[in-house]
Amino acid sequence: MGTVRRLVLDVLKPHEPTIIQLAQQLSELPGVEAVNISIYEIDRKVENAKITIEGSDIQYERVLETIEENGGSVHSIDEVVAGKIIIEDAATPQD
Amino acid sequence: MGFFPRRMLHELREYSDIASIDEIARRYFAMNAFDGVLTIIGVLMGNYAAHVRDPTIVIVTGLSTCIAMGISGLWGAYLTEAAERKRELNDLESHTLTDLSETKIGRASRVAVIIVALVDGLAPFLAALLVLFPFFFSSLLADIVFSYYVSLGMALVVLFVVGAFLGKVSRENLIISGVKMIGAGLVSILLTYILDKVRGS
Repeated sequence: MGTVRRLVLDVLKPHEPTIIQLAQQLSELPGVEAVNISIYEIDRKVENAKITIEGSDIQYERVLETIEENGGSVHSIDEVVAGKIIIEDAATPQD
Repeated sequence: MGFFPRRMLHELREYSDIASIDEIARRYFAMNAFDGVLTIIGVLMGNYAAHVRDPTIVIVTGLSTCIAMGISGLWGAYLTEAAERKRELNDLESHTLTDLSETKIGRASRVAVIIVALVDGLAPFLAALLVLFPFFFSSLLADIVFSYYVSLGMALVVLFVVGAFLGKVSRENLIISGVKMIGAGLVSILLTYILDKVRGS
């Protein structure tokens, strides 16, 4: 089976633990090389985060486990790239 | 050997960040150590005014007061803190729509309850015990009245330390903050002294 190289997730999480702690923990997972978390909406108790993970062999189960352990829940998987290299989505006339 | 405690310490620090344990523990520590010292000043001054000159009686009444304050702090803080934390977690769960009890947040919340209860119970217990300490050595002093003086002096020192601690927390002058605390002890001692004089006259 091909390896997952990039994941983009939409996550709802409480303010604590912070995105710094979450990013550090995700970056320590095997097969993960880099993590980017950006907040695009803040509520009184929770925040919506876009989590981008890149690596040589991302294990989604471990990623999900880490996010849930920190109180977050994955609302959607917005992008996934698998295979030998990372490719961007191709431009189409509709774009 | 060092691995396990370091990991535990790391986890504890993480829980402390999540559940703001240090802030509430600091507050409980200062408030209850203060309470403990003032209560034991009351016990000491009461014994003194009632002309108790047997150190055993002072120790027994003092110790039972220490124990009662310890249990009161431990029990009271455990129940109130557990209720507050549970409410907080339920509130958060209603936003995330998930069960958070088995996450880091849930565990941090449970650890917070235990630590805060321990601080709340131990602070008055130890502070009051420290004040009572000279009576354990009253046989070495010529007169038990000296034990009262040393104990009351010790109470003022403990109050000063608690005040200085608060001064450190608020980043203000430690001495001024310590002296403010001593003021409360002196007022307490003075009022019992006046009460005794009024009763005697």
